Amino acid sequence: MDTVDDGYLVRRARDGYLDAYEELVARHGARAYRVALRLLGNHHDAEDVTQEALIAAWQALPGFRADAAFSTWLYRIVTTRSLNRISRTRRTYPLDARSEPAAPSGGPTEQVERSAAADAVARAITTLPGPQRVALVLYQFEELSYADIAEVTGTSVPAVRSNLHRARRTLASLLRDWR
Amino acid sequence: MMSAGTPPEGTLDLTQRQVPCGTDIDDLLEQVAEGRATERDEHQSHCPHCQAALIELADVWAPVRQLAAQPIAAPSGILAAVMRHIDRITHDMWYTLHQAETGVIRVAARVIAATARQAALRVPGVRIAFGRSTAGARAAEADTREHRHPYAAAGVMGHTAVVDLALTVTHGESIEHVARQVQQRVIADLRDTLGLRHVAVNITVDDVLPPPASS
Repeated sequence: MDTVDDGYLVRRARDGYLDAYEELVARHGARAYRVALRLLGNHHDAEDVTQEALIAAWQALPGFRADAAFSTWLYRIVTTRSLNRISRTRRTYPLDARSEPAAPSGGPTEQVERSAAADAVARAITTLPGPQRVALVLYQFEELSYADIAEVTGTSVPAVRSNLHRARRTLASLLRDWR
Repeated sequence: MMSAGTPPEGTLDLTQRQVPCGTDIDDLLEQVAEGRATERDEHQSHCPHCQAALIELADVWAPVRQLAAQPIAAPSGILAAVMRHIDRITHDMWYTLHQAETGVIRVAARVIAATARQAALRVPGVRIAFGRSTAGARAAEADTREHRHPYAAAGVMGHTAVVDLALTVTHGESIEHVARQVQQRVIADLRDTLGLRHVAVNITVDDVLPPPASS
C-alpha cells in the first residue's frame, strides 16, 4: 500500500472506499496532530482539532480539487481550524506536549536545561499572532517551502516571508530575554 | 514571564533593522534558522559585526532547532477514533454474533472487512485491496439489521459472512489466479481468526497498476 501515491488513494476514497481514506489518515494524521500541537501549544486542543480536521476532510472530499496535494489541503484545514480556535479562546497554555524525549546526550543537567529551553520555545510560539505562528510552524518545523505555505494560507510568497521574518525576530527577542 | 525588552549591553539589538555594517538582521536570522550559521560569504568572513551577530543568533536560536528535532507521535487511539467516527457517519454498525453460555461475543463487520483486506494484501500480485459493496454483501446486510450504505465491505449474520473486495492487481499477473488465491486466503483467515463457519468472498478486480518501483 505504501507504493501507491496519495492521489490514487484520494480518487478511491472519493469513489467511496473507506479503506482508502483510512490509509490517508494513517499517512497524514500524525503530521496533522503535530501541526495542531505546535500552533495551539497543548495536546487537548490539538487532539480535538486533529479529529475535527480529519473528519471534515472526509466530508469535504467530494469537493477536493484533484490537482492539489492532499497533504497541503489537510494542512489548510488544520491551520484554519487551529486559528479559529485561537481566536475563539484567545488563550495560551503551558506546554504539555506529548513529545517523545530526544535521544539522550550530555549529562542530566544539560538535558534538563534543553527541555526547559524547548518548553520556552513552545510557549513563545503561542504568543505570536496567528499568521506569524502558522508561517513559523510550517517552515521551521514542517519544512514546507514558501510557495507551499502560501498555498496553505491562501496568501502570497512575500506575505509568508514577511510573517516569517517578524516571527523570527519576536521569537529571538523572547528567547534571549528568557535565557 | 518572558518579554521582548531592551537588550543587555553588548548584545545584538533586535529592534534595529541592520547591524552596523549594513547587513539586514532578518537575513542573518534566516541564515541561522536554516542551519547555515557557519556558511559565511566573502563579506561575513571579514566582518566582525556579522560574525558576532551570527554567533549570538545561533546561540539564541539553538532551542528552536532542538524543539524541531524532537519527534512527536499522535496520541494512541486518536486516528482510530477518527475512523470510528466516520464509520458512525456511514452507519457501518452491524456485527457477527457468537452466543454461548458464557455470554455474547460481537465482532464488528468492519473488523471482518479489515481482516479480509489484510489477508488479501498478503497474496502475491495484489497491489491494493479495498472493501466494496455488491449484491451479496447488501443481501446479508439487509438480513441482519437493515443497515445499508454504499461503502459496505462485508455483510454478516451470526457465523456467516459475505465479504466483497475490490482488488488492484499488478499488471502482468494472471488475474484469475490472483483472485482465486485471495478467496482461499481470506476464507482461511476468517475461519481461523474469527471462527466464522460460512464465508463467501466476492472479488472484483477493478484496476491494474505496474509493479512497485522497488520490485
